[in-house]
Amino acid sequence: MTLETEVEALRKVPLFHGIDDTKLRLLAFISDRTEFQTGERLCTQGEEGDSAFIILSGDADVLVNTPAGEKKVAQVSENSIVGEIAILCDVPRTATLVAANSMDVLMVSKDDFLKLLNEFPDISLEVMRTLAMRLERTTRDLAEARQGNSGG
Amino acid sequence: MLGRTKSDKLMEKSLFSFIWKYSSRQQIYILMVTVLTYPVIYILLELPKLIINDAVEGDNFPRTFFGFDFDQIPYLILLCCTFLFLVVVSNGLKFYLNVYKGRLGERMLRRLRFELFQRVLRFRLPHFRKVSSGEIIPMITSEVEDVGGFVGEAFSLPAYQGGMLVVQLGFIFMQDPLLGLAAVASYPVQGYIIPILQRKVAQLSRKRVKNIRVIADKVGEGITGVAEIHANDASAWHSADLSDRLYENFKIRYEIYNRKYFIKFLNNFMNQLTPFFFYMIGGYLVIQGDLSMGALLAVIAAYKDLAGPWKELLAYYQMTVDVGIKYQTVVENFDPVDIHDTDRLTNDETVDLKGDVKFENVTFSGGAAGQEVTDITLKVPEGTACAVMGPDGSGRAEVLQLAAGLVSPLTGKVYIGDHDLDKLTDSTLGREIAYVGGAVHVWTGTIRENLYYGLRHRPLTKVERTGEDLKVYKRSLSEAAETKNPSYDLAADWHDLKKAGVTDIDALDLKALELLGAVQLDADIYRLGLQSRFDPSMNDTFAERILNVRKELVARIAADPTLAGLVELWDPSTFNASASLADNLFFAVPSDAEITMDQVPDLPVVKSFLSSNGFDKKLQDIGVQIAETMLELFSNVSGSSGLLGSYSFITQEELPDFERMVRIARSGQTRPGLSDNDKSRLTGLAFKLVPARHRLGVMTDELKAEIIAARAKFLETVVKDNDEFLAFDPEVYLPPLTIEDNLLFGRPRVDRRDARRRIDAVIRSIVEETGLRQPIIFAGFGFHVGVSGSRLSAGQRRRIALVRGLLKNAPTTILDDVATGMTEEDKALRENLRSILSGRTLLFGTSNADIAAEFEHRYTLDQGRLSESET
Repeated sequence: MTLETEVEALRKVPLFHGIDDTKLRLLAFISDRTEFQTGERLCTQGEEGDSAFIILSGDADVLVNTPAGEKKVAQVSENSIVGEIAILCDVPRTATLVAANSMDVLMVSKDDFLKLLNEFPDISLEVMRTLAMRLERTTRDLAEARQGNSGG
Repeated sequence: MLGRTKSDKLMEKSLFSFIWKYSSRQQIYILMVTVLTYPVIYILLELPKLIINDAVEGDNFPRTFFGFDFDQIPYLILLCCTFLFLVVVSNGLKFYLNVYKGRLGERMLRRLRFELFQRVLRFRLPHFRKVSSGEIIPMITSEVEDVGGFVGEAFSLPAYQGGMLVVQLGFIFMQDPLLGLAAVASYPVQGYIIPILQRKVAQLSRKRVKNIRVIADKVGEGITGVAEIHANDASAWHSADLSDRLYENFKIRYEIYNRKYFIKFLNNFMNQLTPFFFYMIGGYLVIQGDLSMGALLAVIAAYKDLAGPWKELLAYYQMTVDVGIKYQTVVENFDPVDIHDTDRLTNDETVDLKGDVKFENVTFSGGAAGQEVTDITLKVPEGTACAVMGPDGSGRAEVLQLAAGLVSPLTGKVYIGDHDLDKLTDSTLGREIAYVGGAVHVWTGTIRENLYYGLRHRPLTKVERTGEDLKVYKRSLSEAAETKNPSYDLAADWHDLKKAGVTDIDALDLKALELLGAVQLDADIYRLGLQSRFDPSMNDTFAERILNVRKELVARIAADPTLAGLVELWDPSTFNASASLADNLFFAVPSDAEITMDQVPDLPVVKSFLSSNGFDKKLQDIGVQIAETMLELFSNVSGSSGLLGSYSFITQEELPDFERMVRIARSGQTRPGLSDNDKSRLTGLAFKLVPARHRLGVMTDELKAEIIAARAKFLETVVKDNDEFLAFDPEVYLPPLTIEDNLLFGRPRVDRRDARRRIDAVIRSIVEETGLRQPIIFAGFGFHVGVSGSRLSAGQRRRIALVRGLLKNAPTTILDDVATGMTEEDKALRENLRSILSGRTLLFGTSNADIAAEFEHRYTLDQGRLSESET
């Protein structure tokens, strides 16, 4: 339960790959280390997003609302960051996160994350790179899906 | 009616008539005692000569005194003892006289200040549009201050110094009339020029006083409107404005100095010019043989003594003019022609004010457009509710103030029943009518004081006093009588319970609670109550009940694993990671709630405890580690980002200081070493560490065990027989903590989301179940509302004023611009008000036609005239 172990975990998060340790320590320090127990909600689809979650241990189910109720669409686990979209652009949560087992999470509030980006442009750059890569992948997926659709 | 005399209407225009009117007896007494000092002083001056010439150098002893013969040595001793005795007597008289004068001055000042304040209370409301508190305050406080010092001297100084002057002059005239004339030759010149110069000084000091008032007013306005200044970036303009006024003040002051010191110069010059005539004329006379050499020297010596009294008289003259001007400049502001009689304030007779509210051709003008009403005739039948509708500036507020008797009509009459409101005193208007206007005022004090403010008309009980208390009280009474101040007893119970329809103070609290519920303020006050501290010595059962809730909460937490995960309860044998290191180490809190965490390391008991087991060094090391980590984390962060402020223990300004401490601590040098203050700050830093939140890794298991061991020792050695600290104990209520913290015997876990909120919900439900909500609200009554209610929201202030009005149980209630929203909340509030006031007369002012439509009677105002009425 110390900053050092958290920094170890943060280093494994792809988003923070190129960032040096002192900044990761700062990120860890300004986040809230929070425990979630099985079934507890990290966030709910539709509500305003005020923080991002960095999963240190445990897994969370990603649920989306469907006419038939909430449906699990994915699972996120250790060393991933979720909910960062909501704090970068002011959109409501796009999905619900429920702890699938006992979780250890670092919560970064929106204000602090933005302050951190302001302070250290290299983090911004890294975030930008990761997002661009995701966009590229999504675009490719979309193109493939379209091709698939038109093809069959 | 009392007091309709001229003297009640007007203040004494001149300072001397004021002084003479209220202190003629004392002035004469001072004069008499002053005269009594003359012979003493005279003998005191003569004795040394007698001692030297007669006792030391004399011969032909013995001397005979009162039939006794004295030889030379006993004679010397006798004379010296007499001298000593007279020194004691003359200084004693002087001391007595000074104290007497000072006391007289203070009494007169108290009388004057009280009179001025009472006059402010007697001003009619529209007059307050012309005066500002920024101007009135310095008048009553500082400007009249000089009067106090002057009163004691007003008559005695000219009498004393004048007497001296006459005696000395007489002596010179007796020696030679011509020299006498020379001595007084400059007096007519000075007597002519000085008043002319002084008149100009007086005008200037009048100007100065007025300028200072404007400055005071501008400063006051700047403070009230400070948000507006920043919001509009107008500080430059205000700075320039004030600076200009200060320059004006400088100019006036400079002119005053020029003239004042010119007067002094003239006086000095004239005084030293006179010896010129002495040497000239006296020398001529001596040479001619018309005057003896000895006489000339005596005259010159006497003239030297003349300068003292003359200077004193001149200073007195200048002071008289100055203080007189100040007095006039003050009192002229307190004599408006339409001032109310004193009787309106002091009369204690209450007339039963029941009946219809009637306006007969009422005209009123507040002195500006939109503040006037013309020819209003209306009638609100007793016991009905009536809306008075009209936008701001339509005369609505004025009509309602007229109905409350707060302002008087210019022509026409306002009646309630058969009583003309203009003929009634505050004792009826303020008790039989409840008025809550758009701009309410909440007084600095507690919520309770504000709620019961409307019941505080006169002291109702007689306080039993004995011994020393009684003596002190009697003295204050006699002083009050001496200065024409009121003799109301502040310590008495002022709450008019009968008026509120209850028999004791507990019932009054219940009644207030009921009304707070009706105006939907109870939830707010409940929250304030949870945050407030309470002294269990006042009410033992309440503490007991809180402790019961605490136990119930512990039981529920034990029974429910989800709850258990949200709190860390205090347990003497485990480390509480959600609490600060200080809480963990001491397992107690300072009994004085005012002591902050930063002050704890400097408490002597803490200091000695820490050094006794070497913990001081350990805590400093932790402090150094924390500071080091903070420096490492935040050294590259700019202060403007705000990250440092919200997350670090250290502020941006403190960083360099801690950097220095870390450097010293790490260098291992004993010199210069850390100062005691540094050590305290490092310890304080360590104290604030909450391990679960800060996760700095300094709290090893080993250290935790040491802290728990030290905790037991601290409880054993310090807390047990020292009342500076109170130990955490499940069976004990801790007064320095808030009620909320006492309810939860532990800390919500900081590493669980929303733990505080979820635990609060549980606490609230237990509180509701156990009926503790009510006493907690009563505890909230003790909440201090801040300066003019600044710690409450505008809505809360208005609701408190509303409850204040409702508690009076007045037959007529007048509400203006209260609860006039279209929200559901306001609608419910109006309904509650209507049901509370049903059967009583209610005038309800609003600018909204839909709200007015809720009332069976309506009057609509437009530009000061009644435009329609529906009854």
